[in-house]
Amino acid sequence: MTDRNIIELRGVEKRYGTFVAAAGINLDLKEGEFFSLLGPSGCGKTTVLRMIAGFQEPTKGSVLIDGQDMEGVPANNRPTNMVFQSYAIFPHLNVGNNVAYGLRGKAPKAEIDQRVAEALEMVELGGLQDRGAGELSGGQRQRVALARALIMRPKVLLLDEPLSALDKKLREQMQFEMRNLQQSLGITFVMVTHDQYEAMTMSDRIGVMFNGRLKQVDTPTTLYARPCDQQVASFIGEMNILPAQLLDETGDTLSINAAAFGRMEIERNPNVATSDRNMNIGIRPEQLEIAAEKPEDYPSTVQGTVSNVAFYGENIHYHIQVAGTETPISVSVPNYFHTVDFNRGDAVWLGLQGASVIDLGQSTE
Amino acid sequence: MRRPSTLTAYAFLYLVFLYLPVLFLPLFSFNSGTIVAFPIKGWTLDWYRKLGEQDTLIQALWNSLGVGTVVAILSTAMGLFAARAFVRYRFRGQRAAEGLVMLPLVIPGIIVASSMLVLFLFLGLKPSLLTVVLGHTFLALPFSVSILKSAFDDFDASLEEASYDLGVGVFETFRRVTLPVVTPGIVASMLVTFTVSFDEFVLAFFLSGNQPTLPVYIWSQIRFPAKLPNVLALGSILLLTSVLLLVLAEYFRRRSSASEVR
Repeated sequence: MTDRNIIELRGVEKRYGTFVAAAGINLDLKEGEFFSLLGPSGCGKTTVLRMIAGFQEPTKGSVLIDGQDMEGVPANNRPTNMVFQSYAIFPHLNVGNNVAYGLRGKAPKAEIDQRVAEALEMVELGGLQDRGAGELSGGQRQRVALARALIMRPKVLLLDEPLSALDKKLREQMQFEMRNLQQSLGITFVMVTHDQYEAMTMSDRIGVMFNGRLKQVDTPTTLYARPCDQQVASFIGEMNILPAQLLDETGDTLSINAAAFGRMEIERNPNVATSDRNMNIGIRPEQLEIAAEKPEDYPSTVQGTVSNVAFYGENIHYHIQVAGTETPISVSVPNYFHTVDFNRGDAVWLGLQGASVIDLGQSTE
Repeated sequence: MRRPSTLTAYAFLYLVFLYLPVLFLPLFSFNSGTIVAFPIKGWTLDWYRKLGEQDTLIQALWNSLGVGTVVAILSTAMGLFAARAFVRYRFRGQRAAEGLVMLPLVIPGIIVASSMLVLFLFLGLKPSLLTVVLGHTFLALPFSVSILKSAFDDFDASLEEASYDLGVGVFETFRRVTLPVVTPGIVASMLVTFTVSFDEFVLAFFLSGNQPTLPVYIWSQIRFPAKLPNVLALGSILLLTSVLLLVLAEYFRRRSSASEVR
């Protein structure tokens, strides 16, 4: 990854009649970066990707690729290539001819054959040139689509929900493979996904979109630890959101009185817009301690009752009903000893460190 | 639930009424007598043998084959563009345009035929095979459009986008992706439109002048009772050919739907 911008979006907006698909998009993507656009379906992330690819023209603003304004440049003349959600494998061509498609007539046949062989080797489909398009499994189709795009040596590879058609096991395997491929090639990948885990495991940075707006652009760890508001906080991972009152602030430390847990000191979140007397805090389920006796080393504790238990295998999720808040607090505990320690109706204690509480700024209600 | 037996009987009678007369055609074409009535005198293939000796018949056959081929190419080519536009794009007046294309299916043939004759004469076009081709193309267009529309319905739009994305222009994409993928639909459309033209009588009767197509020739022969068994033999061959062509067309049409890739 270098510091050079390979893609710059400047005030990009896309309207369909009165419907605003995307607006106010400003984004710089670095050369060699793996970037994900993450958001619920219909948030405008695919529209942004298609404007970079050249299938749609922005209503306002400009798209620059490698410093060049792309206005009026059709998709076939842009230095980008795309892996489609449906993979769009040409059904009348075999694997070799699918991969060679974009090079036909632009390079000597011997060179094309050589590059096709290399590209297939790269996606671990070596020697499958003669396989028919109809004889491929879902995972193989995805690999052919990747090879077909990468053989063009694009400056940017665009991926539209590339893993959504695959089953869970294969999807997880492909996440690692695509990440490794991207790192070894050093090409910028821009991926659109609605799957937060996919975005987190693969990306250098993630842009979170809601309702056509880019809410936050950050690394996965920052997004998880310092989300810019409640919406992003609850979209990335699970989050307990509690109301709190701001009592005092000194430097980056906020003194608050939180529902259920009472007074505590937490760190200011630089990503949220403003702090206010009425604010919200977020607590990740795995940051809470759960115990039968009152935990000693936690400054904030609260007593509650187990209202639900869900066994996930690697984790156990408890829902704890506590005084001072309506919605139960969700707690996640790693499954260390193959035991479920608490059952429905058990009285338990929750423990919390101020350092693991996330300042979500002004309450939106 | 048991179906009422009266309904079954009705359906059976319906089919008999529909197809029995058609089956008399091949039956009497093997009858050695010249009078088309029971009892059948004897069995013969003479009527079929004599077909080859009649020059005007052969000429009419060539006329029909030529017209059918040109009509198949013209209406399928026009239908290809219309069908792609109807399926891919949303535009003002789309429903009206789709309706207009289908209109020839419901306008009485005799009206179309007489108004076309007037139009062509006004334009200074003498009735000939050319005017038959124009008339039949008009008539065959709804068939090619509806067959090709179903072929394009099954065609994933991202295939064309993938081609542009790989650096290939609009026209080359059409040649290298769109055409090959909808080929089965094109073949089906050509077979059906050919058959439509080959069997058509009213338009051809009005517009063919002194260059009769096969149905027009058959009609002219029916006036001579001695020629009737000959016409029956010819009709039987036409019947068989049409059925074979349509079965083949249906095979290709289904293949175009099946080749869709999910």
